[in-house]
Amino acid sequence: MFRRSSYASVVSGQASSTNPQRSGAFSHLVNSNATSGQAAPHHGSSGHARNHSRSLEADGHHNGMSMPWGRSAGPLPTYASQFGSMGNGFGVVGHEEQASSFFVPSYLKGSRHAERLEEAHKAKLAAQREHRSNHSSATASLSTSSSSVNLHKMVPSHRGMTHDIIERAPPLVEENVASWPTRWSEADKFAQIEVQGDGLEVRFQGPAKTHEESASIRTDHPMPRQCGIYYFEVTVVSKGKEGRMIGIGFGSSKVVLNRIPGWEPESWAYHGDDGMIFSNTTSGKQFGPKFTTTDVIGCGINFRTGCAFFTKNGNEIGVAFRDIKHEKLYPMVGMRKPGETLRANFGQTPFVFDIDSIVKKEKEKIQGEINLMNGSGSHSSKSNRPQMDETALIHELTVQYLAHDGYVETARAFAEEVREESRSLANNADPGLKHLDPAEDMDAINRQQIRAAILDGDIDKALKHTAAYRPTVLRDNENIYFKLRCRKFIEMVRKCTELTVPSKRSTTNGQQHNGSDDYDVFDHQMELDDQFATTDGQWGANESMDTEEPADSSARYQAMLQETLTYGQELKAEFSNDPRREVKKALTDTFALMAYPDARESSLAPLLDVSGRVPVAEELNSAILVSLGKSSSAALERLCQQAEVLVADLAEDGGAGAFINVRSDFLR
Amino acid sequence: MSSSTVSVSAATPTTRHSFQRRVDEIKPSKTDINFVIMDYLINEGYPSAAKKFAMEANIQPPIEEESILPRVEIRNAIYAGDIEKAIHKINDLNPQILDLDPTLHFALLRLQLIELIRKCMTTPDADITPALTFATSQLAPRAPTNPEFLEDLERTMALLIFPPENLAPPLAALLDPALRQTVATRVNEAILGSQGARREARIRNLVRLRAWAERKARDAGKDIPDKLDLGLNADKEGDDEDDAMNGNGETDAMVS
Repeated sequence: MFRRSSYASVVSGQASSTNPQRSGAFSHLVNSNATSGQAAPHHGSSGHARNHSRSLEADGHHNGMSMPWGRSAGPLPTYASQFGSMGNGFGVVGHEEQASSFFVPSYLKGSRHAERLEEAHKAKLAAQREHRSNHSSATASLSTSSSSVNLHKMVPSHRGMTHDIIERAPPLVEENVASWPTRWSEADKFAQIEVQGDGLEVRFQGPAKTHEESASIRTDHPMPRQCGIYYFEVTVVSKGKEGRMIGIGFGSSKVVLNRIPGWEPESWAYHGDDGMIFSNTTSGKQFGPKFTTTDVIGCGINFRTGCAFFTKNGNEIGVAFRDIKHEKLYPMVGMRKPGETLRANFGQTPFVFDIDSIVKKEKEKIQGEINLMNGSGSHSSKSNRPQMDETALIHELTVQYLAHDGYVETARAFAEEVREESRSLANNADPGLKHLDPAEDMDAINRQQIRAAILDGDIDKALKHTAAYRPTVLRDNENIYFKLRCRKFIEMVRKCTELTVPSKRSTTNGQQHNGSDDYDVFDHQMELDDQFATTDGQWGANESMDTEEPADSSARYQAMLQETLTYGQELKAEFSNDPRREVKKALTDTFALMAYPDARESSLAPLLDVSGRVPVAEELNSAILVSLGKSSSAALERLCQQAEVLVADLAEDGGAGAFINVRSDFLR
Repeated sequence: MSSSTVSVSAATPTTRHSFQRRVDEIKPSKTDINFVIMDYLINEGYPSAAKKFAMEANIQPPIEEESILPRVEIRNAIYAGDIEKAIHKINDLNPQILDLDPTLHFALLRLQLIELIRKCMTTPDADITPALTFATSQLAPRAPTNPEFLEDLERTMALLIFPPENLAPPLAALLDPALRQTVATRVNEAILGSQGARREARIRNLVRLRAWAERKARDAGKDIPDKLDLGLNADKEGDDEDDAMNGNGETDAMVS
C-alpha cells in the first residue's frame, strides 16, 4: 500500500532528496484513499479485516510484503479492525479466542472485579501476542533501512490500545486477579463423572459400585469473594433411570469427592430427592421442594452477609445457610445414579432467576449507607454542623485543585462567586465559610500558559516556555519531552490535513488506479510525481479555499509538507536509537499518520484528535509540579486514590466494597 | 478517550503493598476529575467558574450557562434572607416544585418567619405584628398536617419570648445562617430533581465515599495509616507522624 512508500521515505531517508519528488510522494498519499478503491475497510467491514489480522497472528508469518493478503486488503483494514473493536470492551477478546474463554455474568457487569479480570485477561492476550510478534519479526526495528520489514512490523504490533500507547504506560499484567468459575474441572472430580463437551455438562457414567458410593465434582476456580455476590444455576437435564439423588451446592477443596456435597465437612448443598439442605453433616433440614428433570436450581452466596440462598425455576426459595466465612469455596454437584445429567450456567448465558435485581438492590443499600455519611467525617468529628463542614471541604478541594492544576481563570471566577455567595449570607453573621481567595502565584500562571499553549496545539511555544521557566523539567523527564516532540509532529500532520481540502479527493479520483499494484517504492514515487503535475493543475482550478488564493494555498501546503517531513527526519534521528519499546512504538504509531491521505478519516484519526493534547499537557504540568517540590496530584485526586484503595480493601473479602466501582459509580 | 486508566494492584494478601504505595499507583483520569469539577460547578451554581473551566480545561460544558442562573439567584435570595423573592422565583421556574413538596414549602415559609423575627430582634422597639400575622396566616394553617411542622412552628415562635442574648442552643440554631444554607441546598436539589438532573453533585458522593470507606476499613481492622492525609491546609496538624508513614517523603509534601 502507498502509505508504506511515504513512511519508507521518512524512515529510510529518501525524503531528504529534492523537493518536488517528496511532495509528489505525499500528494499521492493524500489521494491513496481513492486509489485503493477500498474506502470501506477503513471504517466498516471489520469482519473481513479481522480475518486478515487473525490469520496474520495465527501463522506468525510476518515477512514479505507481497503476500496475498497484502494485496487484497492490505494492512489498512487491520487497523480498522483493531480500532473498531475498541468500542465494545470485549471485541479484542471476542475474535481472539472462543467466546467461552472470557465472559462476565450479567449481575457482575460493571463491577470492579469484572473490570480487573477483563484487564488481566486482555493484558495476558497482549503479552502472548507480543511474544509471538517479537519472535517472528525480531529483526525489525526502526533503525533498519529495509522499509518493508519496518513497515510490516507496524501492523502486527498494533493491538487494541494502539493510540493509547503514547499516552499511557503498558497495562500491568495482573496475575493475581481471581477468576470466577468457568466450567467443571476435568481433574477435580470423581472418576464416574464425565464432563461433556463445553465443560458445563456433567453425567454420571456406569453403574454405582457400591450402594454407598456417590460422585461429585468441583469447578475450575473457586467463587471469588471480591464479587460480593456469586450466583450460578444448574439445570437437571436428566435424573437418570432410577432416581434423583442429586445435590447442588458448594464446598472447599478438602471435601472428598465420593460423597454428595452437604454430607461432608466444609460442604453445603440442597438435595433433589428430599428437598432438604445439608450443612457439613448427613442430617438434613427440611428446606424446599424436591427437584427433578428440567428444573433449574440456582445457588448464590452473599459474601458480605455470609448467607447462601437457593432458587428454583426463577423463584427464590430462601436463605439456606448463614455464617459462610470460608475462603475458596467451589460450586459443587453430586450424583449417584447412572444417567443423571446436570448442566451448569456460570454466567455464560442469561440466568432464569433475576439475580441482577438482587445485586442492584444490594448496591443501592450500600450507596444509601454511604450517603448518610458526612463527607468530611474524618476531618472534624467534633463539629456540630456536618453539612457545612462537607461544603467547606468541597470548596477547599475545588480551590486547591484549580490552583494546583493551573486553572487560574477558573480559580479566580470560582473565588469571586463563592465570595458573592458568602456576602449574601453574611449580612449579619459570620459567614461560616473560609476565605477562599486563591493565592495569585506566578507558578500557577506559568503553568497555565504552558498548558494553554499545548491545548492550542502550539507545542513549540510550550517547549520554549518550559525551557525558560523550569529548564530542568524537560531534561529530567525525557519521556515527556519525547511525547511533546511526537505531539508536535502530530500537530504538523494536522496542519497539513487542514490545508488539504476534501474536494481535492474527487478531482483526482479517476486517475489513481494505474499505480496501485506496484509495490516498488521507488517506481511508485516516480509515478506519483507525474501525477502530481496534473493534480496540481486541477487543484488550482477546482479549489475554493476560503479566502486563500489557490496558488498560495498550494505553495503553503507544500512548504508545510516539506517542514513536516524534515521534522519527521529530525525526530527519527533523535530517537530511533532509543532502545525502549514504548518509544519505538510511539514513533511507529506517529509516523503511521503520514500513510493516510487524510488522516482525519483514517482509523488513526483518534491520534490526531485535539483531545490527545490534554494528557500531554497534564503530564507536563505534573512534572513541573514535582520539579517545584509539590505533590504531583491535587488533594481531590488523592481523595480518589484513597477511596479506590480503601474500596479495594473492603472488597477483598467480599465486603461492601465489592459492590462499589469508584470510577463508574462516582466519577461519571 | 480517557486520558489514563485507573489501575489497581491486586490486593491479595501475598502481594500487599503499603497503603501509601498502593495509593500512589492509582492514576485517576484527569478527564474524570475535570468532569467531577464541572459537574460540581454546574450543580451547585457557579456559572462563571463553569464557563471559564470549560475554556481552560478544553471541555464542553454539559449545559448552557443560562440555565444555571435561576438557581443561583434563588440561592442568593435565600442566603440574603429574602425568602419571598426566592419563593416567587421558584414558582416562576416551576410551580409544581413547592406544590409537590409541602415539607420544603413549609421549611421556606418558616425561614421567612425567622427572618421577620430576626428583624424584630435586631431593631429596638420593633413591631412584632408582621411576624405574628405571617405566622397565623401562612404557617398555622399548615401546621396540623404534620406533627413536625407544628413542633417547628412552636419552637420558632419561642424566639419571640426569650431574650436574643441568651438563647438555648436549639433556638440559637434557628438564627444561624447555616439554616439558610441548609434550606437553599434543599431547594437546589428539588429544582435539579424537577429538571431530571442529579440532585447532588458527584463530588459530594465522592467525599462521602472516602469517609465511609475509611470508617469501614478501620472498623474491619484493615491495615491503613492512622491518618489519611489529603494535602489540604486543614490537614496540617499531625503531619509529622504521617511523613514517617508515607515511605516517600518528598512527593507527599503537599501543596499549599
